Amino acid sequence: MKAVGARLPRYDGVAHVTGRTQFVDDVRVGNLLWAKALRSTVHSAEIKGLDLSKAEKMKGVRAVITCADVPQNVYGHLEALGIPGDEPLLADGEVRYLGQPIALVAAEDEGTAMEAIEAIEVDYAEREPLFDIRKAADSNAPKIHQWGNWYTHFEDEMDRRQIRKGDIEAAFEMADTIVSGVYRPAAIEHIPLETQTALVVPEPSGRLTIYSCTQALYFSMGVVAAHLQWPLNKLKFVGGTVGGGFGGKVDTATETMSALLALKSGRPVKWRWTREEEFLCSSTRAPWHMEIADAVTKDGWILGRKMLTLHDSGAYARFSPYGLTKHSFHHTGAYTIPNLHFDGYVVFTNRVPTTAMRGFGVTSVSFATELHMTRVAQILGLDPFEIRLKNANRVGDTSPNGIAYADPSTVPTIQKIAEAIGHELPADYRSMNGEARQGELLPEHLVAQVGDPEAH
Amino acid sequence: MELTVNGVSREVQSPPLTPLLFVLRDELGITGPKAGCQQGGCGACTVLVDGEPRRSCLAPLAAFDGAEITTVEGLGTPEKLSTVQAAFHEHYASQCGFCTSGFLVATHALLESTKDPSCHDVEAALAGHVCRCTGYVKILEAVEAAARGDVGEVSTVTRPQEGQPEVLVPGSPA
Repeated sequence: MKAVGARLPRYDGVAHVTGRTQFVDDVRVGNLLWAKALRSTVHSAEIKGLDLSKAEKMKGVRAVITCADVPQNVYGHLEALGIPGDEPLLADGEVRYLGQPIALVAAEDEGTAMEAIEAIEVDYAEREPLFDIRKAADSNAPKIHQWGNWYTHFEDEMDRRQIRKGDIEAAFEMADTIVSGVYRPAAIEHIPLETQTALVVPEPSGRLTIYSCTQALYFSMGVVAAHLQWPLNKLKFVGGTVGGGFGGKVDTATETMSALLALKSGRPVKWRWTREEEFLCSSTRAPWHMEIADAVTKDGWILGRKMLTLHDSGAYARFSPYGLTKHSFHHTGAYTIPNLHFDGYVVFTNRVPTTAMRGFGVTSVSFATELHMTRVAQILGLDPFEIRLKNANRVGDTSPNGIAYADPSTVPTIQKIAEAIGHELPADYRSMNGEARQGELLPEHLVAQVGDPEAH
Repeated sequence: MELTVNGVSREVQSPPLTPLLFVLRDELGITGPKAGCQQGGCGACTVLVDGEPRRSCLAPLAAFDGAEITTVEGLGTPEKLSTVQAAFHEHYASQCGFCTSGFLVATHALLESTKDPSCHDVEAALAGHVCRCTGYVKILEAVEAAARGDVGEVSTVTRPQEGQPEVLVPGSPA
């Protein structure tokens, strides 16, 4: 532990400040082709026709690829966990979001690749797109995904992530008042300074060397191997240098497609997204819709919480079910609420698929729960710090998914914040600690769960 | 056409409308300047042209025949960091590193022209540079330290000082 708290020089710092760090785009290989994608210009449509002939005949074009060229076109980012795949690498008959890749070109230079893309003709039969998760989650809404409009593959094939803890009806009957709120954080683009970039080099041995800016190297390797239907030992991934990711480089964006083009052309292929592609087509943090109703007492105890979450997955599932699961585990925030009724849905829309970003699934629920704590305090006329300290997690309290806290940091953290902003706390709140509940901090409604992780 | 890049005279063959960025990166193999947005918006491609910071992604080669270009590679070497490079390293002003070369040359130009820059001078000089990792605070601290000349020798910047733990595996995080 001697590194903790020490100011160690960054192991990559000198290379960074001297321009020696080699990002994917900095790798030099000869005989390079450039990749570009034909992307859907509409949000939702059936593809009635696709004419590649002009692009294929263009001077300088070395490979053109559609879904028919992909050994396994449909794959899911959670397929390794046994969840069926839902996302085609290249659109097959229909497009579900603006910017979805339909065909790929590799050409002698970037400009020629762009011209070839423009020469491809697509005939769309457009459909009314769905962008609002509330409308998409309506059972009468037009179906925009093969599974219906929400994910149906949680454990035991449940169509939602659900948490039931304690006796929610009793909590709402016992409450002095109910405090409700709706919270809707919007999508956020990660905007790494380095756009998605891959370089794939076919080796004489028959293997592929793939230079990748992925945040999840072995995961990306599995994704490429699955689409190619290749064993992992035919892929050599070179990664670890990421020009900003923030979660947006967890999804495998360019590696597989560049690999297919390299195999078809027999030449090294580079794909460096433009900034426009990064904004238009890269995954974002999800927009969310969260409804909270808390059963509270006049003196500031939260007896129970009912919560509904709609997580906007965009057009395909990717990692959203995992993000929603983390979200559900954190839906009481840093506070102890013994009676819970949580339903969360991963809802499909005609937006770009969403993904991890800095606290996948948790930042959204923290935003909602912290605003809601303040709302509860305002409605009850109580101090927002005192209500947080009162309901704070303590040793032996249990999380929504039944984990007993061994060393929760809520109390000292909130005390520090109060001190930092000069908020005067009464003496009994200043002297609180995170030890196991007793006395006034162990009211009747919390007795059942303290020290009993099976109480949920 | 001819460019003097980091003190070395180079004949270049790229077509005259090629952005300077790609002349440097693709013809000359100088990859410190980065293609971040290729729209002049992010500052990652910044180089010094006759001492002045310029967005090399928007600047056609034809405009620079005979010019003196300085990239991050021309500021200092791993063995002998420049003051600005050492300050950025010491103050953790570079995280992922992709925007860093742009910030470094812009800061270098600022300190060449302004010996004791005010906060306003620093912010004006770096206003067109986007960093997504650091939140800018560490960068501003590094620029201020460099302006004061308050940086350690390379050996103390890149190696643990007395009383500090050693890096356990050379070349990797401790």
